[in-house]
Amino acid sequence: MFASALRRWLPLALLTLLAFGLRTYELERRPLHADEANQAVKTGELVEHGRYAFDPRDHHGPTLYYAVLPLAWLRGETTLAALSETTLRLVPALAGTCSVLFLFFLARSLGFGPAFLAAALMAVAPASVYYSRYFIQETLLVSFTLAATLATQRWWQSGRPGWALAAGVALGLMQATKASAPVFVVCALAAAFVVARRRPATPHLSLNLVLIFGTALGVAALFYSSFGTHAAGLRDAVATYTFTSARAAGDSGHEKPWWYYATLFGWEKNGGLIFQQVGFCALAFTGALLAFATRQTLLRATAVYTLLIFLALSLPPYKTPWHAVHFVPGLAVLAAGTLALIPWRTLAVIATASLLFLQLSQTQLVAFLREADARNPYAYVHSSPDVLKIRALAKAALAARPAGAIRIISEEYWPIPWYLRSFPTGSVGYWSTPPADCDGALIIVSAAQASAVRARLHGDYHESFLGLRPGFLCVVFTPVPPAP
Amino acid sequence: MNRSRYSLLLALLALTGAAQAADTVPLQIELPKPLFAGTPRPISLPNLEKPRTGKRPDLMVPAGTINLSKGKTVTSSDSLPVIGELTFITDGDKSGTDGTYVELGPTPQWIQIDLGATAKVAAVAIWHFHSQARVYHDVVVQVSNDAAFKTGVTTIFNNDDDDSSKLGKGTDQAYIEGYEGKLLDGKGAIGRYVRLSSNGNTSDELNHYCEVEVHGSLVK
Repeated sequence: MFASALRRWLPLALLTLLAFGLRTYELERRPLHADEANQAVKTGELVEHGRYAFDPRDHHGPTLYYAVLPLAWLRGETTLAALSETTLRLVPALAGTCSVLFLFFLARSLGFGPAFLAAALMAVAPASVYYSRYFIQETLLVSFTLAATLATQRWWQSGRPGWALAAGVALGLMQATKASAPVFVVCALAAAFVVARRRPATPHLSLNLVLIFGTALGVAALFYSSFGTHAAGLRDAVATYTFTSARAAGDSGHEKPWWYYATLFGWEKNGGLIFQQVGFCALAFTGALLAFATRQTLLRATAVYTLLIFLALSLPPYKTPWHAVHFVPGLAVLAAGTLALIPWRTLAVIATASLLFLQLSQTQLVAFLREADARNPYAYVHSSPDVLKIRALAKAALAARPAGAIRIISEEYWPIPWYLRSFPTGSVGYWSTPPADCDGALIIVSAAQASAVRARLHGDYHESFLGLRPGFLCVVFTPVPPAP
Repeated sequence: MNRSRYSLLLALLALTGAAQAADTVPLQIELPKPLFAGTPRPISLPNLEKPRTGKRPDLMVPAGTINLSKGKTVTSSDSLPVIGELTFITDGDKSGTDGTYVELGPTPQWIQIDLGATAKVAAVAIWHFHSQARVYHDVVVQVSNDAAFKTGVTTIFNNDDDDSSKLGKGTDQAYIEGYEGKLLDGKGAIGRYVRLSSNGNTSDELNHYCEVEVHGSLVK
């Protein structure tokens, strides 16, 4: 019996280890994206001072920040200065690993093999791996969405209030992660409405629904109120929709055509590098067509949900590539469904192995070989590796001039504040336009403002260049030591 | 007596100065903290430098100077470039579009052009990847008759100001890549081989070349 259980569950355990390994390998290597750094500094405030207040204008929900706390404590990081990229990125990495398991259990009704295959496809999917290594909310939202769907599925089938409670908790965590959570809930409900053939098993439907949504509201309120310490967070949790709607519909600079997300799963050659998931996409599309031919409930629901999500995310002009992670679970299930239907075992094995190999190759390219390359469709306005030099530059500058100031003068300067977080507050300043006094131990200026700063410097300065991100250059001024 | 009064006066002045110094403290100025911001917008600046009005100032070279590197063999520290081929570097195509540049791996990398015979180098023109505003780090250009560049090496350009590439500390200025390329005065350096090094750029850690032209004359 043990041997039988081992044979059954060992592959899943190994798959989980693979998913975890892909998501946690050398997390500190890629420079922080401006958004990651923004959130990292905000997290540092929470870690060091226990202070967090939800910002409805420029930040998403609270769960990402609070999720860092237990990891930071375990790793002995109790200040912003001590906080590391690895600790931060372990949060989405763990969430991404859990997503693989959630998807397996969600897809069990297809059979062990197809469910395992769907989980494997998600484990190695380029978008899933890439953004599981990114300190932003998207992977957490995927994980909570899968958890909510799984718990709701179990509740629907069993009627047990424990599953209703779990669904409520997961829904609350979704809402506390990103304001866009209701979009995924509505799409999931719509998909369930289209394909569901029986009522939930519970005899107390209304009571259970109250339990689910009451729990969800309570969990979300707990996080947005910073666990009862910031009541205004509840108001801001609603106010954020004003800013979110304006951003989705307005001139944010992130407008893209409706087919943008489709291109991320198609074929693209950019600067000599090929990014493609044609096989994965083709199998998923076939699975969507077969779903209605076979009348398999889960496949049909997945096809409807994935289509609705595609429409919901593609119609607004505002688009960023990290939203692509929301398509992966659905596409993985549909692709697995197609592979499971291949009647010839040898062909099925070859097709599966080929697809997994192709996906892993792409993951290697996007997540490890060219993780910050501007040609990588997932590395969106990503920081250049040059930012990794800033800390050493600042250290040398203050060693030469301990009383001097480090001045960052640029219309955009993130992620620089993250890399200078360990320097005393009084020694580093940030300006969006040149101040009257520009002299200092180290001055990093956007190239567009370098002339204005140069005119205000006194004494001799050595000039060099540093890239903030592709196309955004900074000029670095360091004082020339006086001749002996 | 006058001397003792003078000494006393000096001592009083010194004490006054010390007292004043004890009363002074370093001026503390609070520096502004960073402001949080949304996701940066993607930008596509073709180049940061304003287009020059008029043509680039001429570099004067001896009469009879020719392009010695056209079609010559190129070797590299990265023998298997990720993108493109080393032959692109001397094929005459400087456009910088896809399929016209070679991409070498990260960390310091060099390319080396074999001119076929000892030459007197009048000028070297370099085109790294120039379709975007970027600066290549630690650009060093050397000439030698020794293919291993161990002896008889002449450096004609070096902007590695911290000697991170271990080829010597350079004092030349870093520059933003442009469609005109970087034109260097060869200063009449004598050698058969021309080696160009770089160490990543402001956009990524990789090294790129569209074209290199070595102008000069063969030494008879």
